[in-house]
Amino acid sequence: MAQLPILSLMTFIPLLGMFVILALPKGKPNMVRWASVIFTGIPLLLGIWLYFNFDRTTAAVQFVERVSWIKAFNIEYYMGIDGLSVPMVLLTVLLSFLCVFASWGIEKGVKGYYAMFLFLEAGMMGVFCALDFFLFFIFWEVMLLPMYFLIGIWGGKDKVYAAIKFFLYTLAGSVLMLLAMLAMYYYSEPHTFDLLALAQNHTQFLNKTVTLFGAQYALDKILWIGLFIGFAIKVPIWPFHTWLPWAHVEAPTAVSVILAGVLLKMGTYGLLRMNYPIFPEATLWASTAMMILGVINIIYGAFCAMAQKDLKKLVAYSSVSHMGYVIMGMASFTTAGVNGAVMQMFNHGTSTAMLFLLVGVAYDRVHHRWIIKPDGSKGFGGIASVVPVYTGMMAIALFASLGLPGLSGFISEALVFLGTFSNPKYQSYVVVGSLGILLGAAYLLWMFMRVFLGPLNEEHKDMTDMNWREKLTLLPLCVLVIVLGVYPMPVLNLMGPTLAKLLSALGVA
Amino acid sequence: MLVSLKAFAPELTLVGFLSLLFLLDGFVPKLRENRFPLIWVIVSCFAAGVATAVGKGLSGDFFSGLVTETGLVAFFRYFFFFACGVTAYVTLGSKEIEERGRSEFSLLILCMTFGMSLMVLANHFLMLYIGIETVSIISFVLAGFNRESSRSNEASFKYLVYGAVSSGLMIYGISLVYGYTGALSYPAIAEALIKNNGTHPFVFYLALVMIYAGFAYKISSFPFHFWTPDVYEGSPTPVATFFSVGPKAAGFGALLHFVLTALSQKQEGGVFTPIAGIQLAPVMALISAATMVVGNLSAIAQTNVKRMLAFSSIAHVGYVLMGFVVMTPAAFSSIIFYLIAYCAMNLGAFWIVGIVTDEKKGSELSDFKGMGWRTPVMGVCMAIFLFSLTGIPLFSGFIGKFLIFGNLIQSQSYLWLALLGVLNSVVSLYYYTKILRAMWLEKPESSDSAELRLPLSQLVGLLGLALPTVILGLFFSPVLEMAQRWITQ
Repeated sequence: MAQLPILSLMTFIPLLGMFVILALPKGKPNMVRWASVIFTGIPLLLGIWLYFNFDRTTAAVQFVERVSWIKAFNIEYYMGIDGLSVPMVLLTVLLSFLCVFASWGIEKGVKGYYAMFLFLEAGMMGVFCALDFFLFFIFWEVMLLPMYFLIGIWGGKDKVYAAIKFFLYTLAGSVLMLLAMLAMYYYSEPHTFDLLALAQNHTQFLNKTVTLFGAQYALDKILWIGLFIGFAIKVPIWPFHTWLPWAHVEAPTAVSVILAGVLLKMGTYGLLRMNYPIFPEATLWASTAMMILGVINIIYGAFCAMAQKDLKKLVAYSSVSHMGYVIMGMASFTTAGVNGAVMQMFNHGTSTAMLFLLVGVAYDRVHHRWIIKPDGSKGFGGIASVVPVYTGMMAIALFASLGLPGLSGFISEALVFLGTFSNPKYQSYVVVGSLGILLGAAYLLWMFMRVFLGPLNEEHKDMTDMNWREKLTLLPLCVLVIVLGVYPMPVLNLMGPTLAKLLSALGVA
Repeated sequence: MLVSLKAFAPELTLVGFLSLLFLLDGFVPKLRENRFPLIWVIVSCFAAGVATAVGKGLSGDFFSGLVTETGLVAFFRYFFFFACGVTAYVTLGSKEIEERGRSEFSLLILCMTFGMSLMVLANHFLMLYIGIETVSIISFVLAGFNRESSRSNEASFKYLVYGAVSSGLMIYGISLVYGYTGALSYPAIAEALIKNNGTHPFVFYLALVMIYAGFAYKISSFPFHFWTPDVYEGSPTPVATFFSVGPKAAGFGALLHFVLTALSQKQEGGVFTPIAGIQLAPVMALISAATMVVGNLSAIAQTNVKRMLAFSSIAHVGYVLMGFVVMTPAAFSSIIFYLIAYCAMNLGAFWIVGIVTDEKKGSELSDFKGMGWRTPVMGVCMAIFLFSLTGIPLFSGFIGKFLIFGNLIQSQSYLWLALLGVLNSVVSLYYYTKILRAMWLEKPESSDSAELRLPLSQLVGLLGLALPTVILGLFFSPVLEMAQRWITQ
């Protein structure tokens, strides 16, 4: 195969970009911006190349790079991608590139902002490519550092609180993951951090016990729970979601996009990469609980979204609701359900990114995001007549998000429900969960009505429509949403064999 | 005798340089006005380090069994000389130690380094006690170094009182052990204990607890940690810098030595097992848990950064003590690795506190406002040190915790301690980021938002500590292998 270490290039070119940007002279913000375009553009181009050269017929990991890193602990620099990681990698490079443009308006500490942003991209790429748990964990944690500063320095009014809340929650999850990682290393024979080897020999974790606080527990279940909490905080699964509205709302637009578009998926990606293949029995044992949590996420997120007066908070809670579908699909233990879940990870990435970008566009112009102001007066209202292009984009984004047939969200949600319904154990959950679609339509359409339709709020009569930069930022996402809504096979084909292998290991035909 | 002197060469070198400085200081008063004494300290530390390297390979007991040479001793010597040298280097740029006080300061830290060496070399309770007292008495003077400051005087006095109590307890404990075993030298104690086949009188355990008091005071472990925040806050920052690393490591070195030679038997394959009837693990686990919980929870409420870092240093003692719960060679090398990592990151953090204190005449959190924007290099270095102290990957502090928690999990016991440990590091993130928040997330007061240029020597020094912190976080195996060799030699 390719001799070029393409995954390393995609991971470390942004990191290189960080150092280049820090070395650029002061007081030249445009130079920094264009440098960022280059350093996120190269990974994007590599990503496109990857898309066309990825072998869709095999479940094996591809583009593997494997070098021994720390011999004493059998730690390897082991990068590789399979059908599960490819959609996420593509999403990462695409959104990172677009977000550079979405951040064009940032004036304060431009150098620092873009340096942190590129650092973040390197971390995200690493998480999706790493096949060694130690390496994975390093990337996973390293991402927190730029995130803390991006929210804390360039965020909104309550940025300090939002930043530390995000950091503490995620770190609490990852330290549990650290312990689980160490236990997986020391309980495996031979000791290894290699995720594929751990999945291969997953039976070695069965029928062992650990003693904690004087009681005996099954090893695989304890480890499963440790990992699950770590990932659940990231997803976020109720009741670990309370950091999300703060972080999403206070973060600058581009960072919200990355948070919702990529970071949330890391949680579900982690579950599918580790919990499912390495602890299949424990996953089956916990699947009903996951299903219940998924349904709670869907319904609870939707109700919260419905109550929001702040546009960005509404979108944030809609993410909670939509990630619920992912959990539901994964917990269904059916081919359609799991395929739908991964598809939903990708589709939610594009549609929610659009929503956040659009909210940012409005905020840049009118400096508020109120659907209804806290004092009860009208926030936006009837702005469709002054900003028609903006309205059109918003319509596409929200219809994709609520699952209108013909747009991407529909396919994945339909697959999730189809899969879940086909598992006789969970039919009643589908009934409750599908209420989420109804609620989703309700809060999104209600928002649309109050913001865009009706009589124009005179305060906003001078609002300008989107400029070329904003349009170009949204266009690729818009195209993806429509194309994948009509013809989802490009993504489904990518992940098909990998998911089939995963499911057969789980005992699902 | 001659061989004994050879084994003692690094300490002799140190004493030689010390005496020379003493004489020069008396006869050439001009020298005290400039940087000479501090540079002298750096040179003598370097010379002592060279002497250690030359004398490598000597091992065994010397001076009729009063001191012993092992790989471990060699490691701690390097460690002390390094810490002392860095402290002198830090002091060069500090305004807190007045120019005319520099030669006293230099004499004192050199002498203290000598005492720390003695503590670790000791193979005999008398030697240990002399070492501990040498270190303690000089610490009292150093803590009170700013004679005009009442805080500094208070710090010195507090240190003295706690020191008196704990060394009193220790010497009483030693006398009880002597009464029970009839020996004061570690190997002889071990022999006597083995003969008793696992049944020891209650008074022996009591004596052990009392002896631990002496160590606990030096490493500031629960319940003898109360002096730490007051002393760190009250003493000049360069002194606190040295206190937080030097004597602490000396305490760990001496404790390690004591536990390994007096209370354990070396089995085949280098595994140390406690002598029958001595169960250290449960007690150590409790002390470790209490130390880190007390340290971390108390740090949350602090508004003075020096005080906060003092509590954080207590918490780190708790993490290191986890290594004593497991007692495998791997655990001991983890302790060594942790100390190395801690040395670099903690020296760095305290150094930056010192720089800010010089600039703002205070070390409250509010003095750190906007400092990151005023000197980005310093701000980035502080972020590295603090994230490393938290235990976030990419930095050496993470590897330290990775190793220590790994040992606990490998031993398949005390999982609750590992769980408590990781949760503690989440707590620690909260207060460490308070400093970063002030430095980066808050704006400097408009009156002094001008860029603050650090002298080149400080930049080089800070980067010299930050780089190892990052490199050890990514490639730690060479150092870990070295630590394993030190342990087994």
